[in-house]
Amino acid sequence: MGKAEVKLAGMGEIVFARGAGVIGCIGLGSCVGTVLFDPRVQAAALAHVMLPEAQEGDAAVQPGKYATTALPALLRMLDTPPAFASRLKAILIGGGELFQNRSQALRIGERNVETLQRLLREARIEIVFEHIRGSSGRSFEFDVATGQIRVRAMGSNCVEKDLSAVLGILRRAA
Amino acid sequence: MTTLNELRTDALREIGNIGLGGAVTALSDLTGVLFTLEAPQIHQMDTHTLSEMCWMAPESLVVGTVSRVNGDWPGEGAFLFPWESACVLWQILVQMQPSGLDDLNELYQSVINEVSNIMLGNYLQAISQMTGFTLHMEPPAFAADMAMAVLSSILVEALYGQRELLAIETAFKTPEHEFKGYFLYLPETGNLEKLFGVLGI
Repeated sequence: MGKAEVKLAGMGEIVFARGAGVIGCIGLGSCVGTVLFDPRVQAAALAHVMLPEAQEGDAAVQPGKYATTALPALLRMLDTPPAFASRLKAILIGGGELFQNRSQALRIGERNVETLQRLLREARIEIVFEHIRGSSGRSFEFDVATGQIRVRAMGSNCVEKDLSAVLGILRRAA
Repeated sequence: MTTLNELRTDALREIGNIGLGGAVTALSDLTGVLFTLEAPQIHQMDTHTLSEMCWMAPESLVVGTVSRVNGDWPGEGAFLFPWESACVLWQILVQMQPSGLDDLNELYQSVINEVSNIMLGNYLQAISQMTGFTLHMEPPAFAADMAMAVLSSILVEALYGQRELLAIETAFKTPEHEFKGYFLYLPETGNLEKLFGVLGI
């Protein structure tokens, strides 16, 4: 990982990769990078979710922006009817509260995480990896072919994990 | 989006100039160093362009504060300092600097919070004198992290409950040191008419 060009999802955006490719987000604060992975076709779609719920009239423009509209958009991108959603696997990265002791705490990071976890549970989609909450920003890269995930945070070691087994990726003989 | 005509954009730029003029004068008084302003920029954004607002390397370490402003022109006021620039402020004000993020204790945080307090207070005072507005600020909240993560957290919170986002950005620097600071005022867009009304435009 690292050599291949990473398809990055900017704030509110959705990216997609199938068979091969690396997808990721840079500098997630309260936002949550939400990956849905389909083991059957080895395809993944990633939304850079900013807020829990859609503002009226805004979701149609950019479904990736809100948790409640991002999930249906990711399912559509993976050609998965809601009834078959349970065959997908999910990864959540982000949802931190960088600014501590805010006078008017909106807790957006926490609410993004709560909303996404609830929606995934309702859709019966298993979350196979999370790096969420806390007070730090994060960047991550996910390799669709190998199931490797790498999460970077400021001032702490990089977390690398092989998710191929939990994602149901078959290892090819070397 | 509410479109801003040229006159209104110019007026917001002028507000930024006057406000931050007061703020950097206060910073110069505090530090004994002369700071100068760059021309304010008005960012009117849908979220597609939010990521483009990150004018620093997205994963570089920055120190930032954000304060809620209440009153006749409510919004959020935020300061961002690249790590090296924050170190310049710490050296001038407390004659030492943290060796890294692990060493960033409460003393260093309170220095940045105090600088933000004084500057935002003077920014609001300057605007208040021009418009007659009553403006109150709440104490700043502090963060040190990746530039993109800090900036996006500020923008998302300002965006909450609104469909559009407006940012008046002013950079300030000093020829005496390798220093650059950024100030953002993110007004609630629903309250803009009141400002333009007072200014007669």
